Amino acid sequence: MKVVHSWLKEYVGESLPNAQTIEDLLNFHAFEIDGVEEVSGETVIDVDVLPNRASDCLSHRGIARELATILDTTLENDPLAHAPQLEATDSITVSIEDPQACPRFTASLITGIKVKESPQWLQARLKALGQRSVNNVVDATNYVMYAMGQPLHAYDADLFPQSEGKWQFVVRYAKEGETINLLSEGGKAEERIVELNGTELLIVDGSSDTPIGLAGVKGGSYARVHAETKNIIVEAAHFHPTLTRKTARRLGIVIDASKRFENEPSRELPPYGQSEIIKLITDIAGGKCEGIVDEYLEKKENPKVTLTLKQTNALLGLELSIDEVAKLIARTGSTVEVHEDSLVAQGPFERTDLHIEEDFIEEVGRLYGLDKIASVVPATTLITTINARQYYGEKIRQCLLGLGFSEVVTSSFHKKGKIQLQNALASDKSYVRGNLSKNLHQVLDANFSHTDMLGLRDVRVFEIGTVFSKSDTAITEHLSLALGVRTKGNGFTAPDERLLVSACDALEELLSTSLAWDKEKGVAELNLSEVLEQLPEPTAYEAVPEKAPMQYQSVSAYPAISRDIALWVTEGTSADDVLSVLNAAAGELWLRTDLFDEFTKDGKTSFAFRIVFQSMDKTLTDDEVSKNMEAVYKEVASKDWKVR
Amino acid sequence: MQTSTGHQHPMTRMIAEINDIFSKIGFEYAEGPEAELEKYNFDRVNVPKDHPSRDMQDTFWFKGKDAVEPTVLRTHTSPVQARYLEKNEPPIKIIVPGKVFRNETTDATHEAQFYQLEGLYVDEGVHLGHLKGTLEYFFTEFFSGKTEVRFRPSFFPFVEPGIEVDMKLLEGNSKQVGKWIEVMGAGMVHPNLLKVAGINSKKYSGFAFGMGIDRLGVMKYGVEDVRDFYTGDLRFVNQF
Repeated sequence: MKVVHSWLKEYVGESLPNAQTIEDLLNFHAFEIDGVEEVSGETVIDVDVLPNRASDCLSHRGIARELATILDTTLENDPLAHAPQLEATDSITVSIEDPQACPRFTASLITGIKVKESPQWLQARLKALGQRSVNNVVDATNYVMYAMGQPLHAYDADLFPQSEGKWQFVVRYAKEGETINLLSEGGKAEERIVELNGTELLIVDGSSDTPIGLAGVKGGSYARVHAETKNIIVEAAHFHPTLTRKTARRLGIVIDASKRFENEPSRELPPYGQSEIIKLITDIAGGKCEGIVDEYLEKKENPKVTLTLKQTNALLGLELSIDEVAKLIARTGSTVEVHEDSLVAQGPFERTDLHIEEDFIEEVGRLYGLDKIASVVPATTLITTINARQYYGEKIRQCLLGLGFSEVVTSSFHKKGKIQLQNALASDKSYVRGNLSKNLHQVLDANFSHTDMLGLRDVRVFEIGTVFSKSDTAITEHLSLALGVRTKGNGFTAPDERLLVSACDALEELLSTSLAWDKEKGVAELNLSEVLEQLPEPTAYEAVPEKAPMQYQSVSAYPAISRDIALWVTEGTSADDVLSVLNAAAGELWLRTDLFDEFTKDGKTSFAFRIVFQSMDKTLTDDEVSKNMEAVYKEVASKDWKVR
Repeated sequence: MQTSTGHQHPMTRMIAEINDIFSKIGFEYAEGPEAELEKYNFDRVNVPKDHPSRDMQDTFWFKGKDAVEPTVLRTHTSPVQARYLEKNEPPIKIIVPGKVFRNETTDATHEAQFYQLEGLYVDEGVHLGHLKGTLEYFFTEFFSGKTEVRFRPSFFPFVEPGIEVDMKLLEGNSKQVGKWIEVMGAGMVHPNLLKVAGINSKKYSGFAFGMGIDRLGVMKYGVEDVRDFYTGDLRFVNQF
């Protein structure tokens, strides 16, 4: 919810702190702040209002009240302070089919207005919120929604036929196959015709039974306010949150109004919204309010909740007195009745989120200050169950690491497969994996070209992870183990199989059980869940091997180039001695050097090294690498070592 | 080139360390399915159907023809809380490290699959101070240096009060030392979760927390793109 600083000030008064202080206050006592920005001369604060407070705080008044609560003050100008006194009119009738779906519906008649541009201050505020100005009437309905959290809709009264001298509003469920013309997004001229399935709630012109609005979700194009409109009817109602949400989601219409209705704002709110909009429209469009009709069928009071001092301190880890707790809760505008070691609290009508004791305990904690909660380390207890997956998983990992296998964690999604997801956003995540082997084959292919830069002779990898299958009635899953070997760049060869078999054998020996491997082209896979069931229950975790702290370095996006060099040195010269000379001479593009062959004959030792070059910024050319190699040869010659 | 020792993936390495740290103070390692029933992933953790709190997580759904009971790829490890509470009596002290899934666009800080660490402690007299103490102990051990923890109010349907947890490394060589970093959501277990599991919420209370292990890896190892964890690229893995 974006809020404009100057707008908050209208409610809080001159004592409102600056945006920076507001950011800190809200951050530590109520809401996270997504950002603060200047928009056309206004300071706009983006407050991340979560679902628990979306009923009252998707509004400037709500955020202002929250700030007053945190600051332990009251609003200087609170539009919810006094119940509005509005004249009734009998020229509008309202008939509601289901009071559960629409507990309250109000409509006011304002005559003699003039539609024109909104005044600058109003345009500026809407602009600061990223809203387009349409005209003074439409802008006023939006303004009051952002001010109070009550969505409103205005109709041209002269385009809305009367029946028996009255405007007749009906709120009823749609009929299957019925259609409605909705206002298009952003007030554009074209219409959107939607076919209904009968679950939606409609606002209907009773004179002709014509649907004119999708209740809570979106207004219709019926009796639209236009440049020549003189008389208007303004609607402010309360619709069932779940019903609103279902319709909005199904039709994909999630707009500011539907978002507010689906979060259950107070049923007390509509007349307050009417009072504000009548003031605003008569102020900026002239005219006069002829009266209001208020059909309020189902009241819903906030519950009276008993709060014990014991439970409050027990959950928060604090030692507050009952008077302190009472004062903190009273700051929210709740009524509080204090007893010896408990109290009964009832939230103000707009706080429809305060239902249970813990809701009030949360208010106490955040207003008192969560920073005042002291750390207590819980008493140490002994564990009695050892998780078999973790225990044996680690045992298998350490064994395979020792055999030169590195561990990968790959995607649980496949582009194609047996079990398709219903709603994956990305096409490469349409299916869930049924095995690990498919990914491991890709991992082997992709990594072979990196062996030089990784100093590897071959690629050996493994993964332990969940794979999915299905029974007749459900999705099933098990833990799988797969390992793969690739010794040659052009695909599977016989030596792969030999290395793979010896690793599989090592695991059989480790677990002292025979294992049913599924082997294909250098990759072996096993249902590990089945194996775990047969293994003895572990009794204690093994120690986690020590590991020095390290920081990851980003990998170059460009390919590495490698060159081999073989040379004779005097027996007794160590490979490390040679390495340090080579590395120092190889220059800036040098990445690593690995010894790959060594033998001694007639008092001389032959070493063969592979030197790898790579740049972080570009693809290297042969010429560039040759220059570096020339420097290496020169240095080698100066040492009297002989290149073979 | 000698056959060198292989490299353990940082994710499973972190999970082993996490388990080691928590098992020392009595937290047991619990687990649950990745293909989870809607009822555990949402309803039993106080996220009812058609409630706006469902919007907080974008969900992968399995098709109705494949699963009689509506099934999702779990969006968090919290369903394991519900499953564990249902089967066990307090005192309950568990951690749940595991893979979770979100149906959203990926970038350097978001991946459609990632790992979460759930923690749950239910007993008589458990309060927010215990949560703070437990987390400070964990972070100090995990990051091998003194760590401070800060609470801010937040909302998660399965806890009340709900807490957002920030942490600050006070020592060490990491780039993150001295900065407050938002690391997880937490709070006191919502009484509805206890009630539905048949646990007396007036007698027992508990804390729960959930954090992304990927994010811990970003801080511990300086990994800049969380997607790197899942590429299967040994240029990544073999640095660890």
